[in-house]
Amino acid sequence: MKAFEWVSPASVGEAANLLKSAPAAKDVDDAARPIAGGQDLLTTMKDYITRPARVVNLKGIRGLDRIEPDGRKGLRIGALVTLAELEESAEVRRDFPALAEAAHSIATPQIRNLGTVGGNLCQRPRCWYYRLEEAVCLKKGGSECFAATGENKYNAILGGGPSYIVHPSDLAPVLVALGASVAVTGADGKRTIPLEKFFTLPSEGNIRRENVLRNDEIITEIDVPASGFAAHSTYLKFKERDSLDFALASVAAAVELGPEKTVKQARIVLGGVAPIPWRVPKAEGYLAGKTLSADALAGAARLALEGAEPLGKNAYKVPLTETLVRRALAKASGLSV
Amino acid sequence: MQQQTPAKKKKVKVPRVVGGVETMVEIEVDDEGGPEWGPNDKHTLLNHRLTRVDAPVKVSGAALYTHDRRLPGMLYGRVVRSPHAHARVLRVDASAARRIPGVRAVVGATDEEVVEGSNKAAGEAAKKNRTEAGGAEAAAGGKVVLFAGQPVAAVAADTPEVAEDAVRAIRVEYEVLPHVVRAEDSMKEGAPKVTPDPNEQNVEEREKRGDAAKTEAAFAQCDVIVEAEYRTPILHHSCLETHGNVVEYRGGDAATVYASTQGTFTIPSDAAQELGLKESAVTAIVEHMGGGFGSKFGIGIEGMLACQLSKQAKAPVHLMLTRKDEFLLAGNRSGSWQKFKAGATRDGRLVALRATQYRLGGLGRGSQAGQPYIYTAANFYREVFSVHTHEDASRAMRAPGHPQANFAMESLMDELAYKLGIDPLEFRKKNLKDTAYHRQLDRGAREIGWERRNRTPGGGAGALKRGMGCAVGTWGGGGNNQCKVDVTVARDGSVTVAVGSQDLGTGTRTLTRAIVAEELGLGINEVAERIGDSRLGNANSSGGSTTSASLSPSVKDAATNARLAVAAKVAPLLGGAKPEEVKFAAGQVSAGGKTLAWKQACAALPSAGITAHGEWKSNLQASGVHGACFAEVEVDTETGHVRAVKMVQVQDVGLPLNRLAVESQINGGMIQSLGMVLYEGRVMDAQLGLQLNPGFGDYKLPGSLEIPELVPLIDDEDKREAVIGVGEAAIIPSVGALANAVFNACGVRVRELPITPDKILMGLTKGGQTA
Repeated sequence: MKAFEWVSPASVGEAANLLKSAPAAKDVDDAARPIAGGQDLLTTMKDYITRPARVVNLKGIRGLDRIEPDGRKGLRIGALVTLAELEESAEVRRDFPALAEAAHSIATPQIRNLGTVGGNLCQRPRCWYYRLEEAVCLKKGGSECFAATGENKYNAILGGGPSYIVHPSDLAPVLVALGASVAVTGADGKRTIPLEKFFTLPSEGNIRRENVLRNDEIITEIDVPASGFAAHSTYLKFKERDSLDFALASVAAAVELGPEKTVKQARIVLGGVAPIPWRVPKAEGYLAGKTLSADALAGAARLALEGAEPLGKNAYKVPLTETLVRRALAKASGLSV
Repeated sequence: MQQQTPAKKKKVKVPRVVGGVETMVEIEVDDEGGPEWGPNDKHTLLNHRLTRVDAPVKVSGAALYTHDRRLPGMLYGRVVRSPHAHARVLRVDASAARRIPGVRAVVGATDEEVVEGSNKAAGEAAKKNRTEAGGAEAAAGGKVVLFAGQPVAAVAADTPEVAEDAVRAIRVEYEVLPHVVRAEDSMKEGAPKVTPDPNEQNVEEREKRGDAAKTEAAFAQCDVIVEAEYRTPILHHSCLETHGNVVEYRGGDAATVYASTQGTFTIPSDAAQELGLKESAVTAIVEHMGGGFGSKFGIGIEGMLACQLSKQAKAPVHLMLTRKDEFLLAGNRSGSWQKFKAGATRDGRLVALRATQYRLGGLGRGSQAGQPYIYTAANFYREVFSVHTHEDASRAMRAPGHPQANFAMESLMDELAYKLGIDPLEFRKKNLKDTAYHRQLDRGAREIGWERRNRTPGGGAGALKRGMGCAVGTWGGGGNNQCKVDVTVARDGSVTVAVGSQDLGTGTRTLTRAIVAEELGLGINEVAERIGDSRLGNANSSGGSTTSASLSPSVKDAATNARLAVAAKVAPLLGGAKPEEVKFAAGQVSAGGKTLAWKQACAALPSAGITAHGEWKSNLQASGVHGACFAEVEVDTETGHVRAVKMVQVQDVGLPLNRLAVESQINGGMIQSLGMVLYEGRVMDAQLGLQLNPGFGDYKLPGSLEIPELVPLIDDEDKREAVIGVGEAAIIPSVGALANAVFNACGVRVRELPITPDKILMGLTKGGQTA
């Protein structure tokens, strides 16, 4: 990796200022970067895909590594909480089971011991063109998304274009389903962003980035509110290789049931199939008020994949994701359908 | 073997491995009797389950691999790779790299002439490592690089990080030329020619065999005919220790090379040539090595570059390939594309088979066993071709050509059996002459419960469906006469067996000790071994599963000679018994009713002890093994997920020197086929000419959660009192067994490996057919 300046601020404000005051970079991937667990950033630095001249270490900042009640039966999760801590938290397991399942599904125990919640949300795409130093693709300032017509087995079937990456985070679909928001601090102050508005489609936001964070902004906390469906939530992740893999497709589902198995409300968010966590309001709306049955689940699954536009080599993701939607809904609502 | 007149010679044909390619050569050996192993069930150490003697240092991390070497003043080397699949090098500018503090040497990047030299070196290295190669000398084509990843220069610096920066500071200007990385594209008219060798076209015929006309006519007699194409991608050896060397040369007239190699004795000459030294002045050390699988013969381009850097810097250079280098420039298992038309009669006889076989070895020629592989077809005709692409040359990889052939032929046999409505196991037996397979198939079937298989492929209720498949395989595994072994017994009773051979995974340290300890009636820990050093007795490279069958006869011979030498010295203390009458057992030496403890006996030795020499004896080894595998899998027909449930593999091996080591080889073979069948495969982008998965994230090896219940069974019905190598045999039959189990489970015949969820799901939506 390229040599860089390592700075360890003691506060979030100082960290944001260090990011802002770094010498101007000629490319967005040369800009200063914050580092927490480093499980993604270091891999991109070793491949010279990101080449920050300054790396701002967040691990010395106190108070960002706690999981705390928010006083309204929800949780505030510090950005430096590790994936292992999230996975093992009794509160998370009890009140937000999907979040614990998603944390458990990530990578390996070694990576979960170091990787953080904030870092997981900010990780860069896994698309193999993006990860290949020699391929200067759209995400790296090139003019072409090679996946569009190339080897796109793992790429997007929804929301793609002009880049066809899929968002790799397992926590993101769950947190979007749970209505979470992120607290962010930048050199110019703080803001709170609903997670659903945090991620950006390549057709909307900066093609070189996957979210709305400015370069000097740092996620400090994730707020997960209480809800009628949080306790009945689940995350199903389909991997090609169980031992260690990213999702070919995944589904975060949460269901609040009324009497007689009627659905009061449902949340369905797809992972691994779109450049952002892909919420499917139409399928959610379809289920509201319905009595759960195999037919209802199949109907929701079909609607969830409505509008999918597979590329040359990823049509399989449509039936695969439909299966996952059905299974996730059944599991979240405690049914064997 | 019976007692013969001393010094009588006989001629035998033995396998010899050069650069991983096994060829049979005729040699003359002594035919004077000599030692015998005796019945397989009468051993005290051999044919038992022996824990590897080097296990503690390996699991504790104390074992020193080449990667672990740290020498005073050592520099770290890195390779500059071409980012283009086919390009002319126009200009190289290393001036910026040389200005980076800590950069100590740059080779191949000073001017055009040196670039040419570096490319020539790449070609030379590839030629030595040619294995299946041939076209690889292509790399010698001057300033033209022929695959993405081909080295064009190298740097050495104080730290690996500085070296990486220097790699990127070297400016190489290329004129990009048209490339092909897909067989179909390479075969098209007007495709860019891949190798500069005028005698090697993009599609080059290797073999035509059988009777085309008779085969064509025989299809008329067939009750069923299957026409199908099977493909396997290029695979990677994935050695846990990447290729590389630590070259210790500080000027002067001698050097030491620490090498990660499967051929200790291939290193000194290669290194001497680069360093400008005498071969005898270069010592190769291979204390422990982290896997080769056929890819580590000779010093390689990475070793040549390390020598050049060390020579320039007059300092030791540690040049181990990065994992990405390893994928791009350290060889691979050739891919395959096999087209068949085959027919059988209602009574289950394979009557006609026509095969067109393409070996996809990149710049290399690739390998592929000829079809119908080990089955007997009354009529067959095959045409075999190499198809070249702009990719690194293939090398030998565990049973070169067999897993590819096995997948295709065993899938085809299965398709015929199902079409005929015959039990796939019975159909195989009807077309296998050798009864060893029948015996092994019956045993494996009992072990896995073959009667539980899915009677209707894809049948049964629910999304999760189980299925079973079976297949067979064969290999040689005989030895040759290259090993020279010395056994020394000191007057204090300590025993050392010494030979320069390496431990590729064979369990060399354990088997050498065990043979000597058994011969002398000692415990395995009462013998020490010295291996992996070119100053010790010569040994062959570990290729073609020849190590055990080459080494153990020489060890046995040396041990026997040591026993007789000790006996001769001790005999006077035992009532003047004849040396051959002295018994060595349980730590005691006895004859004529008298017994001495081992140490007491050794006190009779001269002060220097005794050293006995051993040579290879052809009667102590044999060649030719059989294996049968059964696999059970579970397929989720709504996601395409395949879970391997259980694998049973029966393997004969003559005399198993160490049952635990043989079982481990079988387990390893099953696991490596699991990777081949379900997970692994090189992915190339046709437009860019680049490999998209040069790392363990996207090149998916099976992990611990993927491993099924493994049942390795040694076929003890094989009574040969002879050692046969089994390392390669173990990977073959499980390939076909797994693929066939997937079909039996879900009814989808995936004809292109790896069998991934996308293929199964698309196959299910298309009614059970893919490709």
